[in-house]
Amino acid sequence: MSWMQNLSNAMVLAAIYILMASGLTMVYGVLKVLHIAHAAVYTVGAFAGVLIYTWVGNFWLALFLAMVISGLLGIVIYRGTYFYMLDSPRTVPLIASIGLYVMITDLLQKDFLMGPYQRAFPAQGAGLPRIETRFFTLTPKQVLILLVAVALMALLYVVLTKTRIGLGWRGAAQDREMAASVGVNLNRVISLNFFLGSALAGAAGVLVGVYNNSVFATMGDVVSYKAFIIIVLGGMGSLPGAVLASIILAVAENFLVATVGYVLPRDAIAFLVLIVFLMYRPHGLLGKE
Amino acid sequence: MLEVQQLNVAYGHIQALFDVSLSVNEQEAVAVLGANGAGKSTLIKSIMGWVQPASGDIRFEGESILHLQPWERVRRGLALTPEGGRVFPDLSVEDNLRLGGYLQPEEAIREDMATVFELFPVLEERRKQIAKTLSGGERQMLAIGRALMARPKLLLIDEVSMGLMPILVKRVFSVFSELRRRGVSILLVEQNAFESLKVVDRAYVLENGRIVLSGTTEELQADPRVRAAYLGG
Repeated sequence: MSWMQNLSNAMVLAAIYILMASGLTMVYGVLKVLHIAHAAVYTVGAFAGVLIYTWVGNFWLALFLAMVISGLLGIVIYRGTYFYMLDSPRTVPLIASIGLYVMITDLLQKDFLMGPYQRAFPAQGAGLPRIETRFFTLTPKQVLILLVAVALMALLYVVLTKTRIGLGWRGAAQDREMAASVGVNLNRVISLNFFLGSALAGAAGVLVGVYNNSVFATMGDVVSYKAFIIIVLGGMGSLPGAVLASIILAVAENFLVATVGYVLPRDAIAFLVLIVFLMYRPHGLLGKE
Repeated sequence: MLEVQQLNVAYGHIQALFDVSLSVNEQEAVAVLGANGAGKSTLIKSIMGWVQPASGDIRFEGESILHLQPWERVRRGLALTPEGGRVFPDLSVEDNLRLGGYLQPEEAIREDMATVFELFPVLEERRKQIAKTLSGGERQMLAIGRALMARPKLLLIDEVSMGLMPILVKRVFSVFSELRRRGVSILLVEQNAFESLKVVDRAYVLENGRIVLSGTTEELQADPRVRAAYLGG
């Protein structure tokens, strides 16, 4: 494979990582909670997406509704658990979060939901074209992932930088107490935070489901620790850091798999990148000391 | 306007305030003087809603505000300049001010920003600058400006003079006089009794969590205990 092809494949992977990690780092930024259950939201998004798609046959509608459902699930998780733990030591919500992840994935494996099977998600590229140039080829599915990720991240950027509640969110991420004291309704801002972050995770679930033509209850397992690598690499709580780290990890993974992939499996390489990196920059790319 | 009644506040087993009662009337500036650790910051935090008292009441314009969240208290007309300023470090000066006017309509934000720039011209020069790159004095001015953006009826100010050069302390206190002319009531919590007493009408002296003395500025300036403890003889 040419290096250009490798790079374009890496960008597709990076797009998924970005969607997944931005919600996680947003939650950490405002609440300082390691939100393990974020990966369960991703799985629920994929499951909702495949159900709705099979039912109505329209991919875009399925994606939209899956995002709304994931976003609402995020709010329910916040208001049902973390909300009561804001003043507890940080290990309390962390443990709750692990419990939530296990509970939701186990629940999904029940027969009345997904069962212990894989479901096909045959949305293909949702009718998008294949892009072929002299240097690289993007399949319709890859075009779909890039398109959706770029559009959603642009939307997130606009919400966070151009709207009043986005300004409130940025204030709360820097100093929660002080933001409350200029009039920012923390309940509202944190709920928005969970809604947006979880909707992005749901979108990532749908896209990965379509890409692999497969949705299953434990599909979040690998994703959960990958997303953690990324937010640690990027600097906990930093959104630009998460984007940058997603790209670096995806590129490193793709090129290392292409060159030394016969020595180590892909995920081992991802962790190796993390370990080596943290030896030189313990607070991540854009994190604070 | 503000009435603090029999307030008791404790952090775990350590009690910080004992039966503290005080009031600020409409259009009045009041200081609470006291040494480090006297409970001044705890008092401010209780009024803003960061700390829940064990007993007592805090009333604003005749109604208890104890059950209100900090952001609801801002809506009622409170604003805070906390100890150390606590500006939002990664936001620009302008965004810090905009956030100060979070509950205000766009038009009011534009007007008030112009007013703040009039009071502190240096902030206008630095308007696009990220707050953490400002000097200590500029940060303190930004914190005051941010509080003004909320169009408060009562401004709470915690240790504004700490760490500021004397010339800046004078400048900041002169702004308080200006605010009073505009009808804002002020509750000033300070170690710097000398400068505070120049701009307030009344003051309370807080020692080890208890109000030990109160009176008008003239009374306190003449009181031998205050002179000895806070005004350097």
